[in-house]
Amino acid sequence: MEGLLFNVNNGYIEGIVRGYRNSLLTGQNYSNLTQCETIDDLKLQLGPAYGDFLASLPPNPSTSTLAARTTDKLISEFRYVRANAVGSLAKFMDYLTYGYMIDNVALLITGTLHERDTRELLDRCHPLGWFETMPVLCVATNIEELYNSVLIETPLAPYFKGSLSHQDLDELNIEIVRNTLYKNYLEDFHNFVNTDPDMAGTPTSEVMTEMLEFEADRRAINITLNSFGTELTKADRKKLYPNFGRLYPEGTFMLSRAEDIEGVRLAVEGVNDYKTYFDATGMGQGSGTGAGNMSGGAGGEGKSLEDMFYQKEMEISKGAFTRQFTYAIVYAWVKLREQEIRNITWIAECIAQNQKERIGNYISVF
Amino acid sequence: MSGAGNREAVFPTRQSLGLMKSKLKGAQTGHDLLKRKSEALTKRFREITRRIDEAKRKMGRVMQIAAFSLAEVTYAVGGDIGYQVQESAKSARFRIRTKQENVSGVFLPAFESFTTEGNNDFGLTGLGKGGQQVQRCRETYARAVETLVELASLQTAFVILDEVIKVVNRRVNAIEHVIIPRTENTIKYINSELDELDREEFFRLKKVQNKKQRDNAQQDAEMLAKREAAAEQEKQESDKENAESTPDILGEQEDEDVIF
Amino acid sequence: MAAPASAYKDRQFLAVIGDEDSVTGLLLAGIGHVTAPPDAQKNFLVVDSKTDNAAIEEAFDRFTTERKDIGILLINQHIAERIRHRVDSYTAAFPALLEIPSKDHPYDPEKDSVLRRVRRLFGE
Repeated sequence: MEGLLFNVNNGYIEGIVRGYRNSLLTGQNYSNLTQCETIDDLKLQLGPAYGDFLASLPPNPSTSTLAARTTDKLISEFRYVRANAVGSLAKFMDYLTYGYMIDNVALLITGTLHERDTRELLDRCHPLGWFETMPVLCVATNIEELYNSVLIETPLAPYFKGSLSHQDLDELNIEIVRNTLYKNYLEDFHNFVNTDPDMAGTPTSEVMTEMLEFEADRRAINITLNSFGTELTKADRKKLYPNFGRLYPEGTFMLSRAEDIEGVRLAVEGVNDYKTYFDATGMGQGSGTGAGNMSGGAGGEGKSLEDMFYQKEMEISKGAFTRQFTYAIVYAWVKLREQEIRNITWIAECIAQNQKERIGNYISVF
Repeated sequence: MSGAGNREAVFPTRQSLGLMKSKLKGAQTGHDLLKRKSEALTKRFREITRRIDEAKRKMGRVMQIAAFSLAEVTYAVGGDIGYQVQESAKSARFRIRTKQENVSGVFLPAFESFTTEGNNDFGLTGLGKGGQQVQRCRETYARAVETLVELASLQTAFVILDEVIKVVNRRVNAIEHVIIPRTENTIKYINSELDELDREEFFRLKKVQNKKQRDNAQQDAEMLAKREAAAEQEKQESDKENAESTPDILGEQEDEDVIF
Repeated sequence: MAAPASAYKDRQFLAVIGDEDSVTGLLLAGIGHVTAPPDAQKNFLVVDSKTDNAAIEEAFDRFTTERKDIGILLINQHIAERIRHRVDSYTAAFPALLEIPSKDHPYDPEKDSVLRRVRRLFGE
């Protein structure tokens, strides 16, 4: 059914995005990149994919400018796609940017709290999370003003409403604010793809649900793992778990009561994928002490849980392209592209800092 | 340096000679001791400089590893945490305290790092993702900072020792090249003055003796003359007596002039 | 000639002048400290290409002479290079001044003011 009318509005976008997907670096490209001796070599190797964007770089650029340039390419492509999107796809893409907006808003809140000149912060904001009223945020000088007159105007207002008051902004750790917003955002996004008449019951909702559920679970697990040993209470922690996902509700409930890695492992046991990750990283099999955010990072060698999650995310994203007539490929493409930027940055860091033995830690799915 | 003028302003007396001699002795002992101290410090100093050299190289490596762990964080978090970290820094968890070490009488402060319990500004950084990398990075950096603290101790010791050695060497040199020659000069001066005095005294004594001798001789001569005169008189008197006994006073005998 | 204990007994913090990555890393290690308001003073300064030398020098002075609670000042070597005359003429023992490498500028022992002094002393 969706195949009948999809191309009327979205055929062009789908074509473009699939084209972008084909220009992503492949395993072959990556192995070429890892052979580079200097950043200049790397730049040369990236030439075909990033040509124009890297051309203006000085010789031997720093890794951060390299990352900035590669991000620029993603931004300009995204903007092009966004400009051509109509109807529900346009809205879908707006939703995509909300995640970045949350980061930006968190940044600005931090700045306002510490009475910094927030104008400087605009440069640091992620361009994908740019919204029109963002510069207005800089006008606010105190947090109450920010909350009452500025945040209300942003697309993120619904996420603040009901879960955060302006006192919360003042008192809570910015990480908690950020994660609360993100939770609300994920729930809203999940709701959107499943209820919007254009998407409900289409491959879009199927694929997106899988992706968002994965994202929700990943956040829940990470938050739990990282909160061990910090002042974050279990009740507060529970508030940060998104209310959907493959772990929801039993797994999430168990996560909220977990006190150590063993507890987390038990909580995720119901979902085979996550269980495999835990087994593979060797977490939770030990005495159950020692890991957590305060008392020692777990697993120095091999792949970390984080790597596993990234790997999984990439696989889901890759899988999204096997479906047709779906918006999800836009989401998947952005995610793949971000991973590619991270990979390039990683390889560049390894080269710049002469740490070649870990250069193979990138994640490539093509 | 050893010009005649370079001496202390003292009266050339035996007492000050004694003082000067004990001063010279003191200076020499002091010189020996300081020289030994300076040698001990220099030995220590060389050791420290060698260790600084090593530690600086080690620091290069350690900081590189630390910087790399930060790259891992950037990779895992997928963004820049710099600003957030800067803003959430409130109270130092990693602090230092200083303790002292005694090297040949010099107190060298050494830094010692310690972490205060209970405050953790970055516990929630990377809560959503990358928390484990953040944690690892913190540990790597904490280890790196420990190396830095160690290096800072060495370097402070270096700066202080450098200063102390300079002072000690200055003192050694001052004693060797100024105080000792000066004291020696003073002793020489006092000795020469005393000799001079001795000679003067001797000469004076001689003069006195001469005069005394001359006086004595004169006196002797006078005495002699007196005695002779007395003897003469006596003789005359006895003659006169003789004459009186033969009373021919107005006779053939003229009156003799009596000389007294 | 030992420095009197009062010269360093209160010195319990480290300070840092460095590029963003160095500062972030060191702050993660937990050296960051902001004094109580109203005159909230940080013990770190982030230097980028836009920071002018006067600001660096001011921070340098603040950390070395004004504040009495800093025991060690860490400064990125490439930033020390920008205020080299100040760094070279700094000879006090407290706070200890340490030149550290940064991510993009590997450590060069030739430029280090202390190592140069070491070399000079031994006539190398």
